[in-house]
Amino acid sequence: MNMGRSTRVGALATLLLLAGCAGSPGSIYVPVGGGTGSTSEPPPPPRLPPASPEPEAPAPAQVPERAPSPSYRESGDTLSPAALSLVREADRLLAQGRVAEAITRLERAQRIAPRSAEVYFKLSEAYVQANQLARAEQFTLKGLSLAGNNTRLQRAGWLLLADIRRARGNVAGADQAEARAAAL
Amino acid sequence: MAKSKTPPPSTRNARTRSRAGFWRLFFRVSAVGLVLLAGWMVYLDAIITSRFEGRRFEVPSRVYARPLELYDGASVSAAALERELALSGFRQGDGVKPGSYRRRGGQFWISTRGFRFPDGQEPRRRLTLTIAGDQVVDLRVLAGEASPIVRLEPAQIGGIYPSHQEDRILVRLDQVPPLLPAALMAVEDRHFYEHFGLAPLSIARAMLANLKAGAIVQGGSTLTQQLVKNFFLSQEQTLARKANEALMSLLLEWHYDKDDILETYLNEVYLGQAGTRSINGFGLASQFYFGESLAGLEAHQIALLVGMVKGPSYYNPRRHPERALKRRNLVLSEMEEAGLISAAEANRARGLPLGVSERPSYSENRYPAYIDLVRRHLARDYREEDLRSEGLRIFTTLNPSIQYAAEYAVRDTVPRLATGEVRDALEAAMVVTAKDTGEVLALVGGRDPAFAGFNRALDAERPIGSLIKPFIYLTALSHSDRYTLITPVRDQSFVLEFDDGRRWQPKNYDGEEHGEVPLHRALAKSYNLPAVRTGLDLGVDAVAETLQAFGVTSPISRYPSMLLGSVSMTPVTVAQIYQGLATSGFNTPLRTIREVTDAQGEPLSRYPLEVDQVADPAAVHLVQYAMQEVMQEGTGRSAYYTVPRQLTLAGKTGTTDDGRDAWFAGFSGDLLAVAWVGRDDNGPTSLTGATGALPIWTRFMASLPQHSFSPVVPDGVSYHWVNDERQALTGEHCENARYMPFITGSEPEQHVSCSGALERRIRSWFEGLFQ
Repeated sequence: MNMGRSTRVGALATLLLLAGCAGSPGSIYVPVGGGTGSTSEPPPPPRLPPASPEPEAPAPAQVPERAPSPSYRESGDTLSPAALSLVREADRLLAQGRVAEAITRLERAQRIAPRSAEVYFKLSEAYVQANQLARAEQFTLKGLSLAGNNTRLQRAGWLLLADIRRARGNVAGADQAEARAAAL
Repeated sequence: MAKSKTPPPSTRNARTRSRAGFWRLFFRVSAVGLVLLAGWMVYLDAIITSRFEGRRFEVPSRVYARPLELYDGASVSAAALERELALSGFRQGDGVKPGSYRRRGGQFWISTRGFRFPDGQEPRRRLTLTIAGDQVVDLRVLAGEASPIVRLEPAQIGGIYPSHQEDRILVRLDQVPPLLPAALMAVEDRHFYEHFGLAPLSIARAMLANLKAGAIVQGGSTLTQQLVKNFFLSQEQTLARKANEALMSLLLEWHYDKDDILETYLNEVYLGQAGTRSINGFGLASQFYFGESLAGLEAHQIALLVGMVKGPSYYNPRRHPERALKRRNLVLSEMEEAGLISAAEANRARGLPLGVSERPSYSENRYPAYIDLVRRHLARDYREEDLRSEGLRIFTTLNPSIQYAAEYAVRDTVPRLATGEVRDALEAAMVVTAKDTGEVLALVGGRDPAFAGFNRALDAERPIGSLIKPFIYLTALSHSDRYTLITPVRDQSFVLEFDDGRRWQPKNYDGEEHGEVPLHRALAKSYNLPAVRTGLDLGVDAVAETLQAFGVTSPISRYPSMLLGSVSMTPVTVAQIYQGLATSGFNTPLRTIREVTDAQGEPLSRYPLEVDQVADPAAVHLVQYAMQEVMQEGTGRSAYYTVPRQLTLAGKTGTTDDGRDAWFAGFSGDLLAVAWVGRDDNGPTSLTGATGALPIWTRFMASLPQHSFSPVVPDGVSYHWVNDERQALTGEHCENARYMPFITGSEPEQHVSCSGALERRIRSWFEGLFQ
């Protein structure tokens, strides 16, 4: 199992480097005031909505066909260069067996890029090395929840999950995860 | 000791004998005196050293905010960056000297001092960056180790103090502005570093002056003597006292080096009185008189404090400003004379007003509610004594910018929510966490955030009202064979009869009924009857289990009224359970502490990120859809009068009977915030979640740059155009068409086509072309 894990983890590292350069659109960032000439002053006290119970929303200028609909997207964020630099530092530390230090770097990366699947897969990898497999499994699941329609990330996640589950003695769960990877 | 010789026999024998007797007596008395004195010295030594040690070796724990991380794309406004720099002790300057920064428009030059973090040293650097659109762009390291990401030193936000020093703000000698000890010595004790505890010449000079005046007008005490006097609080000036003080001063000097004595002096000296509470030490005095930390004081402020040593009540700047000003200027002149400041500086300083703050402040703990939560988290792993005395360094997750925004939103909004008696009685609380990390970023415990009283964010257990509804519908949507977002649910009243004959008849908030409504709208509009019906269909137990999975630890009474939110929770607990909704079903324990190290910086404990999947991400995704609808079309839509449309948000209102509690809980892509408004006496307010808590929440969200909420579609969910009235698939351009998520396999099978929509369809084909 160890053999399998290390090759897959290696594959994951390559994947992360690729992902760092992929550059797909990230989350929508909205500066204060919606970006129309963002202010440099402290937050101006925004006006309070009218106290009377909720009049009908005035129609916005562009008159859309229907109300704006709830938002969703097909994939998570990619790693920013700052987050990627921390992940690489973590990689170096992991290679030296300094797992605890690697985890602190990865948590910093996670705070910067909390919606990228890669960072959670990396955390999972670190916890595998620390032999904390329950945590590793949870981080893999979290990463998978952000992999969206990126099949490469999905495959990496499911295979990682299969390895971890097998190591934890959950053979059925491992098979299931492997089947998911194969179906991609 | 000289031995007494046997006197030679002579005629003057008798006289000699009597003289010898005198000497014998003298030596005996002296010997006894010496023994007594030695005993007395031992006694004094024990007293003074225990007193001194007690003060010196109890080092309070230091509490730090999270460090600001700067990198290209980091979200921070220029104003927030400037505030953050000030909190971390940066001064406006050339941006070259460590600890200084320069700003021109959106561009900053910052020179960091370096800081030892638990995970390693952040080296000293000079850097430049630009803030554009509330984001960092073009970060470059000009000097020091290159890095795409730089951490500023964290702001110290408080201390946890030994109980008998609760009234101190302890400072270390190497942290006080060097001008303070220098000025102190220039005025009080010029030869501090040379003498042995006493300065006989000064004493002689003082005695002469006192004799001339016929009263005690000069002290002539060294700093060491003053410190000893301070230990024993009494101000009476008897000769015996003076002798004791002199002896103890010698003993102190014999045991400790000058710097230790000076540091203790700085922390002990009496500098004022506030009621029954005495103001001891320069750290607290700086806070008390100027509302600032000692490190931030300027020459004229230092001079005032130094001048007050002589007579804190006589020179009280709040009560006797003229006297204080005269004394301060005298000290400034002495500082000038001693070469501590230039003539120009002294002149300028003498022209300045006293600069005393209007309201005395007693604490450097700017964020009492937050520190309260930190202490409770620490109490799980640390003994109170250790926190108070071991000099631990506690690295928290507090984000000062976000705390500022939360305090501002609460303080400024609450007084406008009501009038008269209700307004005065209104209280509020707010909790803000980072959506994906569970870090608590800000906490407000009441309408006056600086007041360290009842912490409502942690201790106000109140019924949550409709905040429970997302959990009812999540439980339902987890059964995709029975419920989808378009499943019709009945908004029609009914009566529940219990075994003991009691009857329960739930109602909608506005008393109206809407017949059959699709599930997503029932949640968005917060109708009560469909929620209760759905909850009863699933079973109260099933809903209670969902709540427990999401982090409710206290027992939940399983009555049907629970389905309308009769279950009570604190704002922090609400933040905990909404974390799982915000993160696609991953429970993330809330944290206020990242790391604790000992005084030398060695790590003691880490509190790592944890995630735990507690619900099917697919079902949570559907609930997230409806919670966004709350903001766009439902009870939360007034948020968009204030918040820009591009910022997608999701949330839920909550109201209890007679407006006793108004809640709002919701999230953006980055932040999760919970606001509560109500009265401590649990009285009625006529507010609802939308009119009481949402305005605070909205104002908070509108004041911070952040990412939109836009969840990644999880595995096993697909979107379809549907007609939710007819529970059927439909064409994109048909009337009533909505694009909605379904757990794969649960989407409707039948299809309705729309006639008469051709014109509309044609128009839509051209939409993209002409815009």
